[in-house]
Amino acid sequence: MIHFVVLISRQGKVRLTKWYSPYSQKERAKVIRELSGMILTRGPKLCNFVEWRGYKVVYKRYASLYFCMCIDQDDNELEILEIIHHYVEILDRYFGSVCELDLIFNFHKAYYILDEILIAGELQESSKKTVARLVAAQDSLVEAAKEQASSISNMIAQATK
Amino acid sequence: MALSGMRGLSVFISDIRNCPNKEQERLRVDKELGNIRTRFKNEKGLTPYEKKKYVWKMLYIYMLGYDVDFGHMEAVSLISAPKYPEKQVGYIVTSSLLNENHDFLRLAINTVRNDIIGRNETFQCLALTLVGNIGGREFAESLAPDVQKLLISSGCRPLVRKKAALCLLRLYRKNPDVVNVDGWSDRMAQLLDERDLGVLTSSMSLLVALVSNNHEAYWSCLPKCVKILERLARNQDVPQEYTYYGIPSPWLQVKAMRALQYFPTVEDPNTRRSLFEVLQRILMGTDVVKNVNKNNASHAVLFEALALVMHLDAEKEMMSQCVALLGKFIAVREPNIRYLGLENMTRMLMVTDVHDIIKRHQAQIITSLKDPDISIRRRALDLLYGMCDVSNAKDIVEELLQYLSTSDFAMREELSLKAAILAEKFAPDLSWYVDVILQLIDKAGDFVSDDIWFRVVQFVTNNEDLQPYAALKAREYLDKLAIHETMVKVSAYLLGEYSHLLARRPGCSPKEIFSILHEKLPTVRGVGPMPLADMANLFNSLQLMVCPGLDPNPNNLVASTTFYSESTRAMLCLIRIETDPADRTQLRMTIASGDSALTFELKEFIKEQLVYIPIPPQAPAPVLPQARPTSPPTAITDPGTLLAGLL
Repeated sequence: MIHFVVLISRQGKVRLTKWYSPYSQKERAKVIRELSGMILTRGPKLCNFVEWRGYKVVYKRYASLYFCMCIDQDDNELEILEIIHHYVEILDRYFGSVCELDLIFNFHKAYYILDEILIAGELQESSKKTVARLVAAQDSLVEAAKEQASSISNMIAQATK
Repeated sequence: MALSGMRGLSVFISDIRNCPNKEQERLRVDKELGNIRTRFKNEKGLTPYEKKKYVWKMLYIYMLGYDVDFGHMEAVSLISAPKYPEKQVGYIVTSSLLNENHDFLRLAINTVRNDIIGRNETFQCLALTLVGNIGGREFAESLAPDVQKLLISSGCRPLVRKKAALCLLRLYRKNPDVVNVDGWSDRMAQLLDERDLGVLTSSMSLLVALVSNNHEAYWSCLPKCVKILERLARNQDVPQEYTYYGIPSPWLQVKAMRALQYFPTVEDPNTRRSLFEVLQRILMGTDVVKNVNKNNASHAVLFEALALVMHLDAEKEMMSQCVALLGKFIAVREPNIRYLGLENMTRMLMVTDVHDIIKRHQAQIITSLKDPDISIRRRALDLLYGMCDVSNAKDIVEELLQYLSTSDFAMREELSLKAAILAEKFAPDLSWYVDVILQLIDKAGDFVSDDIWFRVVQFVTNNEDLQPYAALKAREYLDKLAIHETMVKVSAYLLGEYSHLLARRPGCSPKEIFSILHEKLPTVRGVGPMPLADMANLFNSLQLMVCPGLDPNPNNLVASTTFYSESTRAMLCLIRIETDPADRTQLRMTIASGDSALTFELKEFIKEQLVYIPIPPQAPAPVLPQARPTSPPTAITDPGTLLAGLL
């Protein structure tokens, strides 16, 4: 299974973390420090897998962001590499040519989307079309609720003028 | 770039980014945390929108690396919000901030359960996702039946059912009893008839977990897995949206093949034949293409197929095909494939008798030992270690020794240990073995454990023919300008015992040997360990229960304790301290528990305690060799047990 997902920038700033195994806050900080040290220093021509504490970490760099997923020793590495790509493609479609800044200011959206792709550290949905549809549906629910709320407050404002 | 839709959040993020340094950032964060704390205290004044905003800010601050030790309650309380936007934030932030060990997650169980059994599909999805991501044992006990109902209910849409499948998987992992095997063998088989590939993929993950613990109950799922594989391999009925760069649902293919690896055999001849046809097609038909993603996906399937072929113990012909493929892979330029080639070749060694075919690729593997990529070097080392036998041991060990001089520290300990084990196991003659160990100590003394040099000394002691040679080599090493303290110890011992065999050679008179050892010995840093009685007292004070009588050797101390750390549960651990009365600078500690991370933590903990206690005044004198041999140290036990501890 995937134990955690971490997105780090080239300068070591954390852009997203999701933990599917129980790590305390202190342990999480330690993990991120160690992995940043290991992964950010790896050159471009090396393989996408590092061995770490009895686990494997599969990572891929997209522009200025490193997407890292920690898996068990006997999991299929290439499969995970393509899960990373799947996630990136979906983000790309959602934001329209995604860049790091999108993920900084809209990190909450990145979390919503990740929750449609992975659960319990396993792949949930491999159809980009379905994920896009679900996220769009969630967005419109939120929009609808906002409109409803604002129309109610308008009514109240009118009534209390 | 779309704006976040929450102005307050965007402004805060901009502020943080505009901070010129860490100090300023901390100030801004503290200010915000203070603000949030105040607003949360006065809950009446908070609109749902504001609550959402603050909870997201909290998560952002947490991601920056700061401690956010309050506000968990607010995030969890949003889960009970009546409207979707707030509920969604509550669920997502909770699952990102908290984990199953947070006590007040329990408070949410009822709300979560209501969402799961309620009619609102979107709420169901939120709840299933949370429980699937961070649910613990208690969630498992309370919610498993409801989740199971959703999974098998035909009234539920695929969206809910696929989440339910993975949610159940998590609950099962936390408490296997929640899945009643009797009921589930049929249900699982039915789930595999699912048409929706999203639900099928999730169900297949569930199957893998169930089968890994108990394949007996799920035999009926075996032929269905093969049928699914066939359908995918022929690209039958696979909607476009589930085709990834032209490969039909590669993840489902991989999962199905993984599930099959938990069944010991495929009994039915028809099923077996169909399966082998599919595997053969994958093995022979996976080409290298330009598109990276298509390549990765098709090779992900290929490597899983390889693993399945190995597991099924196919005929020799198919196995040779596999090795041939792997032989190709370890020589390609693409580093991922090289890595996987080496890794899978190592797996092949353990499964079947392809040693000879693999040895043909020895030169390429040795080249990989020097690859610029440490991940690949590690795999190469493992493979060399596994494929070593009498015929190639000398070459391989010599390569390892050569590599040792330039390798990075992360690998040296493993390299030394493996070289030492191979040298002993396959030595063509004992003097070569002595040579190798001495070279090891010379090149990587810091990483050569005491067990290794105890052993070489033991061998020399037991083999008269070896003694003059060993003594001579020891003398030669002493002439080097810079020698490791372990080498000094080994030489001191060997020369102390056997220098009389060299007496006639130049530079080897007792007086000369004594003086050169004396000159080198100050470099030996020894810290006398405390007497055993004091150590027993220390252990008792640390609540490590000393167990007299477990080890008959009076120079050893055995204790037991229940130990746990943040990441493991409490486990019984045994600790043994062995001291060597003939060499007061030596002390060895061995720890056994059920968990290697725990063993390591306990070892560090005890070492810390031993270091900080002041050493008793009677520090032992350094060991000087005598002209006549004394009896060898009695603490060396049977060589087999010594190395058993190492391995």
